[in-house]
Amino acid sequence: MAQHRKRPWTFYVLATFFALFVLFLYGPMLAIYILSFQGPTGGLTFPMNGVSLHWFQALFEQQRTGDFSGSFSRSILLAFLVMICTVTFSVMAGLAFRRRFFGASAIFYMAVASLVMPGLFLSLGIGLIFRVIDMPTNWFSSALGAQLTWSLPFGLLIMFAVLSRFDRSYEEAARDLGATNRQTLQYVVLPILFPGLIAVALFGFTLSYDEFPRTLLTVGPGNTLPLEIYAMTTTVTSPALYALGTVTTVVSFAAIILSLGSIAIIQWRRGGRFRK
Amino acid sequence: MAQTGGIELANLTKRFGDTLAIDSVSMTVPPGTYCCLLGPSGCGKTTLLRMIAGHDEPTAGDVRIDGQSVLGLPPAERGTAMMFQSYALFPHLTCLDNVAFNLKVRGVAKAARRKQAHEMLDRVQMDGFADRVPAELSGGQQQRIALARSLITNPKVLLLDEPLSALDEFLRLQMRGNLRQMQNEFGITFVHVTHTQMEAIAVADLVVVMDHGQIDQADRARAVYDTPRTTYVARFIGGQNVLSGKVVAVENGAAILDDARGNRFTVPTGDTAPGTGETRYLSIRRDRIEMEKLADPSAARDGTVNSVVGKVWMTEYQGTWVKVNITLPDGEEFVANIDDGRFFANPVHEGDMVLARWPAESVHPLEHRESSFDTSRGGMHT
Repeated sequence: MAQHRKRPWTFYVLATFFALFVLFLYGPMLAIYILSFQGPTGGLTFPMNGVSLHWFQALFEQQRTGDFSGSFSRSILLAFLVMICTVTFSVMAGLAFRRRFFGASAIFYMAVASLVMPGLFLSLGIGLIFRVIDMPTNWFSSALGAQLTWSLPFGLLIMFAVLSRFDRSYEEAARDLGATNRQTLQYVVLPILFPGLIAVALFGFTLSYDEFPRTLLTVGPGNTLPLEIYAMTTTVTSPALYALGTVTTVVSFAAIILSLGSIAIIQWRRGGRFRK
Repeated sequence: MAQTGGIELANLTKRFGDTLAIDSVSMTVPPGTYCCLLGPSGCGKTTLLRMIAGHDEPTAGDVRIDGQSVLGLPPAERGTAMMFQSYALFPHLTCLDNVAFNLKVRGVAKAARRKQAHEMLDRVQMDGFADRVPAELSGGQQQRIALARSLITNPKVLLLDEPLSALDEFLRLQMRGNLRQMQNEFGITFVHVTHTQMEAIAVADLVVVMDHGQIDQADRARAVYDTPRTTYVARFIGGQNVLSGKVVAVENGAAILDDARGNRFTVPTGDTAPGTGETRYLSIRRDRIEMEKLADPSAARDGTVNSVVGKVWMTEYQGTWVKVNITLPDGEEFVANIDDGRFFANPVHEGDMVLARWPAESVHPLEHRESSFDTSRGGMHT
């Protein structure tokens, strides 16, 4: 069909801006993914010297490329811990904030304030306190706490959005039908909120998985993956680094696809399985 | 077997902060009654329902069901069940699981609760939808599921919060008949909140007209319609012309009133003894009005009592009758509903001057009550 109306000039300005954004977002990443399949004799830059999985293999040879499997499993475990804590406490806090309890807004602002605090200083402070109380910093203690200062406020804000669409008459109906508070939570509130909880879980997981500044000075002897990658950029001079980038991206995408996929399936079931 | 489900409210009061939502309401609903709480939005009818249900606690006063105070009891122990305005069907459960919810939380075994839920679904003719989720159902079907889910608790009292407001006009008429039928079948007390006058009159044994957190009139449907107690009830229920005038004389149990337009009315005094100069209010049903076209509007009215003169500004054909809107000289509206046969035998047109009159025995005295209710908005078209 013929274009009847000429597009305004602002369209072209905004379209150019968006194209640049996409280029900056995906261009470099794409280059890294491609280079990770570099041949065994290839280097850190184009051109490709053959295609192979050589550098993915090299990842698991600890001496040459740093402690990949150690830091990877640490990061995944930590991300799961952060995810579980974030979901548990954000849900409880979110439900609590629906009532105007004494000090509600003070607690809310205190929680959200940690989003604007510089992560590196937070990390420094936590590391310092651990030294003062003479406890060793470790990824499962000090780093877990540091990451929660970041993921909990996020989780809480998402819960607010989720709960704002939650009709309280579901709870009243459950109570009307004889459910106890625990049964109301278990059979009605949590199942209805479940897609929202997956979103909180996804945020908890990914915020932890690629967290850097808060972890830097709290992680203790064993690095998490982002810290390990940062260390590698100065010591590893082979495409194994790119292979690492590809692997971690696959993990992130898997987490996202899993979450969004399960949300979609739940929504589809609630919308009616029998519909075409 | 003596019926159960009688409700007594004693000086029930509810405040929300500084707002007085329910102002010392006392009322009795006999067991097995279909009761409608009727009033404009904000009149407190839903608050009253929620206090009977146990979802709101009163500030003062008592709620008794079958003579026992239920204050402080959770909803399920009151013998009440509530159907929410939005139905509040659990979106993640099938219709069967929704209906079986009460049995599940009471710990009934799966096979037994499914069997009972199927039977209940069958009673509301929804068994074919057992495996569907609520989002797949139409509004009317959702309402039946909500009804089944409430009734499976064996309530003595079913509380319905605007049960028909989510439905379209056609379904509304169908489902209100359905509700009445269910109430007969189960023989329990229904308390139904609505702001639709026709709905209340059509289904209820007992119509409770509310305004400003108070009950204006609680009576049989016909009494509320035919003999409203106050000017507010007459205007809100509709179907009535409300007039007023100052008493000039009292004779033979009737007060003679003159209004500011120069009309003269009679109104039965009943037990009261009105003094001269007092303002009295009265109503006449719109379908009790006789109307004739005035050939010469300027002619003297030769003392015809119980009549008004006005100009027709709109006629509306309603099938079995014609609604004639008449504007009185001071701008007040007066409505005559004329049987279609009589109307078309002697039609009037917009702009005609007419004399509308009524027999003295059709006049009903009213108590005056100020109300925020806007008369131009409400009233049935009958």
